[in-house]
Amino acid sequence: MNFRERLQAWRYNLVPDHIIGEILQKRWTDNAIPFLALVVVVAAFGHAIPGFFGLDALQDSTRQLGEFILVVIGLTVVMLGGGIDLSVGAIFALGAFAAVACFFIFHLPVWVAWLAALGVGMLFGAANGYLVGYLRLRAFLTTLVTLIIGRAVYEILVVNFGVLVQLSDATSETWDFIGDGEALGLSVSMLAALALSVVVHIVLTRSRPGWHLLAVGGSRRSAHNAGIKVRSTVFYSYVFSGACAGSAGFLIAARLSGAGPNTGQGLEILALTASVVGGNSLGGGRGSVVKGLMGAVIVLVMTNGLIRLGYGTGSTQMVLGLLLAAAVTLDIRWLKNRHKVLNEVYVAPVYLALGEAPSALPGSGTPCALNNRLAQAEAIGLGDLEGPEDVILDRDDHLYCGTRHGEIVRFLAPDYTRSEVFAHVGGFPLGLTFDRDGNLLSCVGAMGLYSVSPDRKVTQLTAETRRSLTSIQDDARLRDPNDLDIAPDGKVYFTDSTKRYDAHDWMLDSIENRATGRLLVYDPATGTTRTLLDGYRYTNGVCLSHDGQSVLFCESWACRVHRYWIAGPRAGRVECVIRDMPGYPDNINRASDGSYWMAWLGMRTPAFDLSLRHPAMRKRMARRLPQDEWLFPNINTGGVVKFTDDGQITATWGDLGGESHAMVTSMREHKGYLYIGGILNNRIGRIRIEGADPTWDANTAYWGPRR
Amino acid sequence: MILDPILDLFRGKAITIPPLDGAFRPDTRLDELPAVAGLPAADNLVWAEGRLLASTGAMVVAPGRTDDPVAEFPAEITAMAVAADGRLVVATDDGRLSLGGVDLPLSGGLGCITALAFGPDGALWLANGSARHPASGWVVDLMEGGMTGSVWRWTVEAGFHQVASGLGWPYGLLPDASGVVVAESWRHRLIRLESGRLTPVLTGLPAYPARLAPAKGGGAWLALFAPRTRLIEFVLQENAYRRDMMTEVPREFWIAPALSSGRRFLEPLQCGGIRVMGIHKPWSPSRSYGLVARLDAAFQPVESLHSRANGRRHGVTSVVDTPEGLFIAAKGGDAVLRQDG
Repeated sequence: MNFRERLQAWRYNLVPDHIIGEILQKRWTDNAIPFLALVVVVAAFGHAIPGFFGLDALQDSTRQLGEFILVVIGLTVVMLGGGIDLSVGAIFALGAFAAVACFFIFHLPVWVAWLAALGVGMLFGAANGYLVGYLRLRAFLTTLVTLIIGRAVYEILVVNFGVLVQLSDATSETWDFIGDGEALGLSVSMLAALALSVVVHIVLTRSRPGWHLLAVGGSRRSAHNAGIKVRSTVFYSYVFSGACAGSAGFLIAARLSGAGPNTGQGLEILALTASVVGGNSLGGGRGSVVKGLMGAVIVLVMTNGLIRLGYGTGSTQMVLGLLLAAAVTLDIRWLKNRHKVLNEVYVAPVYLALGEAPSALPGSGTPCALNNRLAQAEAIGLGDLEGPEDVILDRDDHLYCGTRHGEIVRFLAPDYTRSEVFAHVGGFPLGLTFDRDGNLLSCVGAMGLYSVSPDRKVTQLTAETRRSLTSIQDDARLRDPNDLDIAPDGKVYFTDSTKRYDAHDWMLDSIENRATGRLLVYDPATGTTRTLLDGYRYTNGVCLSHDGQSVLFCESWACRVHRYWIAGPRAGRVECVIRDMPGYPDNINRASDGSYWMAWLGMRTPAFDLSLRHPAMRKRMARRLPQDEWLFPNINTGGVVKFTDDGQITATWGDLGGESHAMVTSMREHKGYLYIGGILNNRIGRIRIEGADPTWDANTAYWGPRR
Repeated sequence: MILDPILDLFRGKAITIPPLDGAFRPDTRLDELPAVAGLPAADNLVWAEGRLLASTGAMVVAPGRTDDPVAEFPAEITAMAVAADGRLVVATDDGRLSLGGVDLPLSGGLGCITALAFGPDGALWLANGSARHPASGWVVDLMEGGMTGSVWRWTVEAGFHQVASGLGWPYGLLPDASGVVVAESWRHRLIRLESGRLTPVLTGLPAYPARLAPAKGGGAWLALFAPRTRLIEFVLQENAYRRDMMTEVPREFWIAPALSSGRRFLEPLQCGGIRVMGIHKPWSPSRSYGLVARLDAAFQPVESLHSRANGRRHGVTSVVDTPEGLFIAAKGGDAVLRQDG
């Protein structure tokens, strides 16, 4: 290994590049940029203005913030539903006037004032909602109209009745408390804002109306097709926004004990900026209350800070405008390109130097040398079958296999010309095995471990294990359960090939070559699943040894077979049985003569082996070429290998032309014949094994004669 | 994305190749054509005195007429042509040139003759693929980024005279009264050499061009011996990987263009080339391909014949248009094909 290669090995095996992709997959990364902006803004102004976050200043600004947050939450809810509400400023002002009028002019109690503000807000919100939701008018123009009309009404009212308010002598302790008082060290408006935030957050994330709203915002048509009442959902979102704005108006009325001509002026711009800067999508469907809160704090700290620093209204507006523009651009670009960025960074290859393998070339004289025997296999289900990853036979000689349509198909003995769908499981049934009672257990790709009873009832046995402590991506879920076998005590040993990719993306895992494969055990007695081994490069085939003391399993991308002891003095230990094979191993099954059959899904090629030692090259390849152009292990030639308990390969069969069995993923010996499956093949092969015991049946070998 | 130009600095530009479209729209005509003869590594075709001659290994044969070789040489034949008087000029991989059976002493630097052609004035044009490798070492020359090819002209009176140098594997010659059109393989283009000037006439070919031949009724036929694939173009930019590949991996298993592919399981495979449900997708990326293009008088493509990724008539290196039809030598497909008309 030269220095350059050693450097690459360190760089790519020690630096966990894959974490970036896993973090980017998290939804909360959407919050990262607004949060960063929040920290920067708060730190910058706190540093620039001494006493900016002093107690008095905070007390004053939190009152303002509480009112503002109420408005922002309302607007956020409308935006999540795919709309926009420009009239919040006008409603806010009208709410304030309604409260002031009730309290000062009509001398009504405080709660009536609040109800009046709320009522006015909801009324205007309902008008918006009716026009936008039911009459399907454009949200932007409709709420602009409401804004203009509301504002006009407000100004007429203030001009005509403003004097009456000022001359009034109405007082109330409640009113003063709401305006100036504190509870638990927080102003009333702040408390109201926080309470509403919590409620709205829970409603949005954990209740039916919230999910409906997000669904409508995400896609109106899909929501409609799913049976959601789109129009009323939109209607109520505007009513809610109006109610929030009206309540905020009541709070400012209590704080200022009056309503001036400037109340609520430009508030819609501030609220919109806050909502978008926080990271809520203008297109709807994506966002949260927390984002609204962050945006509100950013905007308010900035405007107040700029004013304190002595900048005029013009400069403040300018900064807000630029902020809004930046946020909108970022929002749209990020939304559009997130998956691209993810695609580019997700595949994070590692370094692996595979050892020299014995030659598999025909005529090379090694036990691994491929011949052309599989080409002579007779075809079962040719053309009807798609993707029989594993094949198995029951005590009555019927032949079962999974298909890529998520079905388990049964071919009927004795000639296997007739077939039927035995059970529909979904996913992609991979490894198969029969248990003591004749239930057919299957590792279903992308789903988990399933059992199909003889009367065709499908039950999920397990789909998760314990999450590992250092995982970023949830690795409790089984992503690619691949093969299984059952010990005499009934425990099911099975593999989950990779934590990084879903079952259908197993090809990407070979490019990345990261060791995330697991060996797990499911205990039917307790119904629990445990991870026994972790950190293998695509764990694949599993087979219980003939003596029942150990489990053989293979590691496809490292071309190795391992043994895990489940009983005896070495229980719990693992040892490598075969290393550096010329082919990539897949399923393993018992042979009648006391040895084992193993499928080779493909062959190593010198060019690909070399690329494993060039992770940087593979990374660039994954980024710069489309997937169809990627270099790949040669899975157009596979084979069937026989090996003994001590890891000696004794025979190798292949199909060099690749016409009938290009990629071999499984084989099963049954009564003197070998049945061959391939995940990318359109048939099952059947070939006579010379010298094999013509009565040997795996079901009897595992579970004894029929009871 | 607007940031692409900046990001490209860190990650490199996406690799693209010209699509097979327009005049290069794929078909399966090469696979459908009848074979005149199965001929191992059939290479250069010439029409001499009313019969077709083809080079195969170290022999010249008349495909479809006799099984006996017309002529035999000590090394593999890399190019041949027929003079107006019927004499055969043959270049071999050991760096020799024979005119009518007589060795012609070569000028220094001429050891990799890939194409020969006589001009209307009787002068012999020679394409010298590389200054570093013999003709059989073409894939090494490509992987080393060889731009050391040259074009020469020979007359009895003046001897050898170098017309152009610094070319990326000139592999086809079509001389006319005023100059010569050269197929420059590594730059995927045709160029015209005329009175000391080099002008590109056709660029951005989707495959590596090989020999040129005049077409009946004007224009020319161009054989293209291997496809460009994005993986190969990528490997050509990956210096460390390519260097290691060249030292550690046997040459026939390199990620490189080939005359034929998919016959041995140690060859590199690309994801799209995986056989699924028994089908090898014809549009999948492949190291070899069969392609012949018809060019008009201005050397622009007008039609083409293909053998796609799942076909067998790959690696076409030579075409000759004769009164008895169009003959095509698929070196990778070990056959000489014939199209009537």
